Amino acid sequence: MEEKKQCKGCGGALPFVVGFVAAVIAGWVLFPGVLYSKQNQPIRFSHKVHQEQGMECASCHSFREDGSYAGLPNNEKCMECHADVVGSDPDELKYVEQYAKTGKEVPWLIYQSQPDNVLFSHKAHESFECKSCHLEVEKTDTPPVYYENRLSGYSKQTMKMWQCERCHAENGVSNACHVCHK
Amino acid sequence: MGLDRRGFVKFVVGGVAGTLFTPVIWQSLDDVSIWSQNWPWIPRLNKGEVKSTAALSKLCPAGCAVKVKTLGGLPYAAIGNTANPMSKGGVCPVCAGGAQLMYSPARVASPMKKVGEGKFEAIKWEDAEAMLVEKLTAVKGQEGKLAVISGDETGSANDVFSAFAAGMGSTGFYMMPGEMLTATKGVKLMGGNGQPGFDIAGADFVLMIGADALDSWGATVANQKAFAATRPTGGAATAQFVYAGPVLNNTASVSDKWVAVTPTGASAFALGLANLLIAAGAVSSAPDFADYKALAAKFTPEAVEAAAGVKAEVLKDLAAKLKAAKAPLVIAGASFGQGAGAVDFCAAASLNVLLGRVNVTGGMTVLPTAPKALAAAIGRESALDAGSFLSAVATGKATPAVLMVYEANPAFALPQAGEMAKSLGNIAFKVSFSTYMDETAAMADLILPAPHPYERFDDAMNPYGVAKPTYLAGKPVVKKPVADCKDPVDVLLAAAGKLGVSLGFETYADVIKAKASAVGADLDTLTAGGAWTSDGKGGNLSLGAAALAKVAPAAADPKTLAVAPVTRQAFGSGSLATPPANLLIVREDELTGKDLVVRMNAATAKAAGVTQGAKVKLTAGSGELKARISVNEGVAAGTVAVPMGFGRSAWDEFTKGKGDNVYKILTVSDEAGTGLKVWAGSTVTVAKG
Repeated sequence: MEEKKQCKGCGGALPFVVGFVAAVIAGWVLFPGVLYSKQNQPIRFSHKVHQEQGMECASCHSFREDGSYAGLPNNEKCMECHADVVGSDPDELKYVEQYAKTGKEVPWLIYQSQPDNVLFSHKAHESFECKSCHLEVEKTDTPPVYYENRLSGYSKQTMKMWQCERCHAENGVSNACHVCHK
Repeated sequence: MGLDRRGFVKFVVGGVAGTLFTPVIWQSLDDVSIWSQNWPWIPRLNKGEVKSTAALSKLCPAGCAVKVKTLGGLPYAAIGNTANPMSKGGVCPVCAGGAQLMYSPARVASPMKKVGEGKFEAIKWEDAEAMLVEKLTAVKGQEGKLAVISGDETGSANDVFSAFAAGMGSTGFYMMPGEMLTATKGVKLMGGNGQPGFDIAGADFVLMIGADALDSWGATVANQKAFAATRPTGGAATAQFVYAGPVLNNTASVSDKWVAVTPTGASAFALGLANLLIAAGAVSSAPDFADYKALAAKFTPEAVEAAAGVKAEVLKDLAAKLKAAKAPLVIAGASFGQGAGAVDFCAAASLNVLLGRVNVTGGMTVLPTAPKALAAAIGRESALDAGSFLSAVATGKATPAVLMVYEANPAFALPQAGEMAKSLGNIAFKVSFSTYMDETAAMADLILPAPHPYERFDDAMNPYGVAKPTYLAGKPVVKKPVADCKDPVDVLLAAAGKLGVSLGFETYADVIKAKASAVGADLDTLTAGGAWTSDGKGGNLSLGAAALAKVAPAAADPKTLAVAPVTRQAFGSGSLATPPANLLIVREDELTGKDLVVRMNAATAKAAGVTQGAKVKLTAGSGELKARISVNEGVAAGTVAVPMGFGRSAWDEFTKGKGDNVYKILTVSDEAGTGLKVWAGSTVTVAKG
């Protein structure tokens, strides 16, 4: 009788433990795969090749005269060098044919696009290194995979408000609403 | 060992508990909250570079040199352009709303053909242009069968349209009414040739007879800047401004003095001043001075009081101030920018001649005839008026088969509007080149959408009122129009090519380039917001005594009231409905709910038997206008002041169906001596209703 009771006790906990562990594994391992869709950039842009040409980040990602950040370069900038096909890379041909010649801007996927209700000033954060917030892409030959959150529509790398607040707090910067929400 | 019910429940509970230690619930809640901020109907910000690009905004009649603020290439605001010597950074209330008007729901989205009463069908440009060529082919070489009405006073487009009409064998090029048409004819009566100008900036005493110069007359922003310059902050005014007109309007309200002059009394008032000035010793070397003096002598202060309602002491005080001023200037104009006669212009303008204030700094000038971009074009001095043309259509004297309407809205903005609209209906094929679905476009058989000023090349030669020959030009601000539109001149030039009418240009941009070259202006400087000006003067003037001999005090009918339409530039123009943003400044004594409000003073209201807030009908001929009464002492005796710009039957939800259209009760008569059509002295009967 005593042995039977002990077995019942073990059997009673086991389903709970199995369920618990299975849920933890599913939540941490499988859920992200379900939550995010994987997408590739429309053009396989090689930061590495451009850096080897002696270009710097600011050559394409520059500030405008009024201090606002231009973000990604547009066709006008790219066509300074790529109005015609340079080299034999198939993506080079794709860019020239589909975008440069048609005047259509490349729909780049932006890893850290913020919502409209956030005003992020790159000028105010100029003293930080790009990689403090952005993916380290300068040596990549193929852009990182873009993970889009199926629910929110934003990128996996989009910085959340708590991250902004923590950095502000650590650096003694105000966390008042109006600092980011105009 | 199997999984019994209890075991399954434990498994599920374990699963739920485990889930709490994963991001599944917490991240999902966070993501759902973010998702809820992104409903598809919430507008998204357009991100990109903020730029400021010079443009010529011809939404107002004079045209404003503006800077268009764009974000990522899309306009979102318009501000003044400090580089422009005329506006000096100012902008009129219509052009200030230029960006909003570019996205207006009233814009014609694509070419359309009429398929039934009030029904249109969108068609392709190639089909629309083919239809235009087909209709024009049928009238080629037949005098009187093609007519063009233009509402653009300053653009080289008029050169192209008039030259095209001539090339088609027609002389039917007509302009919508305005000060320019009347004043140019007035200058002719005074022995001159050209368009008059008025140097407000250089004057120290400005008497505006009728001309609403600080709100809606002439180059309004330049006028306002000149006025403002005489009022330094904390300092004494360096010039005096007096407004003489039937209504205490915006110009009168900021002037040093308002003199209430009845709508029909402007000429008598001006000649009364001339009489007092001559009595005070004023002489002129003009050849007709003796005749003028004899004529003016008839306009004693007592006669002026009877004809214009101005008391003798007010007239004498004003004459003394004119005489004492070092640089007096008299601006002649109709109180609502149209409808007055050339003789009325002469009467007021002759004071400048009498005071020796013609072609001098701070005086009245006569601008030399502007060069034309096309040799076959009709000059401004020879343009015919659209009102007379449509009257001729009504009586069968004119029988056009094709009418092209460019930047004009004759179905709304001509006197006796109801009858004019009927006349339009008599024309078999009407083409409207219009940016917006206005009342005329709504009657057209073919609508060819024109670009908004930020989407097109355009120019402005001598906007009415400028003291010096002036030329402005602009180029597109945006890469692509928001509507499927084409420049009307480009369309016309293409049609001309197919019809075998040689005009020598392929695009409007080429025409403007040629015009700038003919003027001697640098086009790049102009399109950057600059202005070309010159000191060219157009010769001397007489006093116009022969024409003024026709002036006779109007016989007052005690059963009627004189109509004084009241303009406010913010409310748009004949060819542009009130911009939605400006509806916010419509006062309760202009529009109450959807009722138009007309004003009259207490004595007039008492005589008419109406009281504050009463509903009335104003009737003239077959035209009737419904309104409410506001008793206000800012209106001359025997006069009813009626706001202009309301009563739209087309356009958009913001302007349609609000108030009534004053043009319906303006009646046309022939001016004695000139035969010009005038309607500044329109009268109405008032009945409760």
